[in-house]
Amino acid sequence: MKIALVGNQNSGKTTLFNLLTGMNAKVGNWPGVTIEKKEGTIRGTKNKIIDLPGIYSLSPYSKEEEIARKYIFEEMPDVIINIVDATNIERSLYLTTQLMELDTNIIVALNMADILDSRGIKIDIEKLQKELGVKIVSISALKEIGIDRLIKEIDNDNKKIIKRIYDKNIEELISLIDVDSVHKRFVKVKLIEGDKRFKKYNKDIYVKRISMCSKKYDTDLEEVVATERYEFIEKVLDKCLTLKKQNNNISEKLDKIFLNKYLAFPIFAIIMFLVYFLSVGVVGRSSSEMIASLVDTFSSFVSGFLKDIGTSEVLNSLIVDGIIAGVGSVLGFLLQLIILFICISLLEVTGYMSRIAFLLDKIFRRVGLSGKSLIPFIVGSGCSVPGIMGSRIIENDDEREMTAILTPFIPCSAKLPIIAMFSTYFFKDYSGIVAASFYFLAIFIIIISALILSKFVFVDTSDLYISELPLYKLPSFKYVFKDVFDKVVAFIERAGSIILFCSIVVWFLLSFSPSLSYGVDVENSILACIGKSISWIFYPVLGEDNWALTVSIIQGLVAKEQVISSMSVISGFTNSSGMFSSGSIFSSITPAAAYAFVAFNLFSAPCFGALGALRRELGSTKKVLKVVLFQTIIAWIIAFICYQVGIRIEKSIISVADIVICIIIFSILCFIGIKYFKNKDNKCNSCPFGKTCKQLKK
Amino acid sequence: MNLAELKVGDVAKVIKLDITNKKTRRHLLDMGLTRGVIVKVKRVAPTLDPVNIELRGYELCVSRKDLKNIEVEKVYS
Repeated sequence: MKIALVGNQNSGKTTLFNLLTGMNAKVGNWPGVTIEKKEGTIRGTKNKIIDLPGIYSLSPYSKEEEIARKYIFEEMPDVIINIVDATNIERSLYLTTQLMELDTNIIVALNMADILDSRGIKIDIEKLQKELGVKIVSISALKEIGIDRLIKEIDNDNKKIIKRIYDKNIEELISLIDVDSVHKRFVKVKLIEGDKRFKKYNKDIYVKRISMCSKKYDTDLEEVVATERYEFIEKVLDKCLTLKKQNNNISEKLDKIFLNKYLAFPIFAIIMFLVYFLSVGVVGRSSSEMIASLVDTFSSFVSGFLKDIGTSEVLNSLIVDGIIAGVGSVLGFLLQLIILFICISLLEVTGYMSRIAFLLDKIFRRVGLSGKSLIPFIVGSGCSVPGIMGSRIIENDDEREMTAILTPFIPCSAKLPIIAMFSTYFFKDYSGIVAASFYFLAIFIIIISALILSKFVFVDTSDLYISELPLYKLPSFKYVFKDVFDKVVAFIERAGSIILFCSIVVWFLLSFSPSLSYGVDVENSILACIGKSISWIFYPVLGEDNWALTVSIIQGLVAKEQVISSMSVISGFTNSSGMFSSGSIFSSITPAAAYAFVAFNLFSAPCFGALGALRRELGSTKKVLKVVLFQTIIAWIIAFICYQVGIRIEKSIISVADIVICIIIFSILCFIGIKYFKNKDNKCNSCPFGKTCKQLKK
Repeated sequence: MNLAELKVGDVAKVIKLDITNKKTRRHLLDMGLTRGVIVKVKRVAPTLDPVNIELRGYELCVSRKDLKNIEVEKVYS
């Protein structure tokens, strides 16, 4: 049997899915966590279950909602489990009234029934079952109550009784229409609503009848149908639901602080700052030094052991200088990543994400993005791939593509080792602040890029913002633990596969000369030859012709942490005690060059994994190539600015205060500029953008 | 009067949805913003847009521009 899980966004479908299947699929507390259908098997049975993206109705608005609707129609599940959030029952039942019209058995799983009492709500389930004509099982996905009963109910043949929920005009109209579809009643209602997707079922005579009927109302039938559905629900709930007293809950109090007029933005900035400060600044330094020394001890132990058993020098070098140095350098950042993953996981499940979208919507809208863009951005600070896919929750196509393109600008967890290593070494006591500064730089660059893109490329952005604001939830520590654990395992797996492989390749390219003789000086190795031929590109950014940094940057395409791995392997070949100590090829790097180097890695083309995700979301390889070019050019420009400014600070030509004042002046100019263009939108003649202007293209 | 003119704490009844964009209108209807529904303005974002309204027992955020096209009748403030 095929079973589909259908329900509103954020109603706990995925939590239930995980319970039914024993999997650990991603959950969160914002509308639209699930963006693709997921399949599993209900434990103890052979029944297949499919978790669909959340929908509010069977007329979709965004890409991921379309997936759910398509599945219900085209794959024809045997049973639909309609999960209904009991604390939000009125709106949730709206979808139920649509599902009831399909020719599929449905079971309503009334979720979060356990917290109704604390809200002062009482629902008579027997009565509700009778009024709706469908089977209802009350469950709590979070506390794992009622799940076994739900599984049993699936095998029972729960015939539903079709309720006539509309007024007599529309019910009469329904009886007059006949369509050739399994879901007869549903399609008929869709025809009455005037849904274009069902045009093929329509006949001229029906069109006439429908338009005749619509004259009886002072609005179109689409609105009449929606209104009457809700009126039906109100009537049903009047009979089955008793409200003792409205309990002003904790969410309300929390929102008074988190969405406060004056505090909201500072709190947001502090939270984001803390995420980076904690993971890079506080825990970072001691932990990565500790692990680095562990790796050192381990590598000298292995090296000694290999010598003792008489392995050749080449093999010894491959294992110690190649594999251990390469993989070990990446694993050194594991603790920092765990902290980062915990922070992101907490942000996701508590419900703060939806608040951020609400807070920043207007600011993001100014530059052509949506407040909802922030959700992919924050998810992207874990990994760009789910972030890019998460952009699907945005309804407008141009806003969605722009968000997908800009998501890789957010430093992901693989870029964290780069940030952590350079800021720890070059900025010592200020490492936490410097690390956070990269995050804020990323936000700044995203805003500037969005402004450029929305003026010239994606001109068709809208002002639409419709989103539910979910209640705050206490995180389930079991889930957070599992989520972080899964991500950590994935990271280690990557270190053991891709990074391991690349380390071997880098070792080979470093150990051999172009004529394939072993044991040459690094400066004459294959890798050095490749690097030297293109290192001029980065001269203005790094202030020197450094082939080693150049080849490391390019390896970032495979995986961003490979940059660190590569640098570690290369420095191992030059006789030095540490990566940046004298004698190493990296010893000449100045803090300014370090900052510029990190900035370039943050903004340049993302790894192949992210490019693949971008290819899927944008739908064409050509677009992706353009994006890569755009990102790399932007990255070079930013890195250039960072270096040129930085080097002048180092030489004391300008001071930090100068920079701060310049930034303030620049922001004021930007602000005035935006205001100016907003006002002059209707007067095209005076606008310097002329024919490239957004309004004109429309 | 329209929904955007209401102040925080005001409660009103929806009279008419004057939204030309069909997709937006459909979306709002599905979210329960139908004729006759009682809405309360809960909160306004610090940037004044979007607006957080309460209806049918849950909270919805809608941009001010769309609220301007929803005609309401103030019940009490």
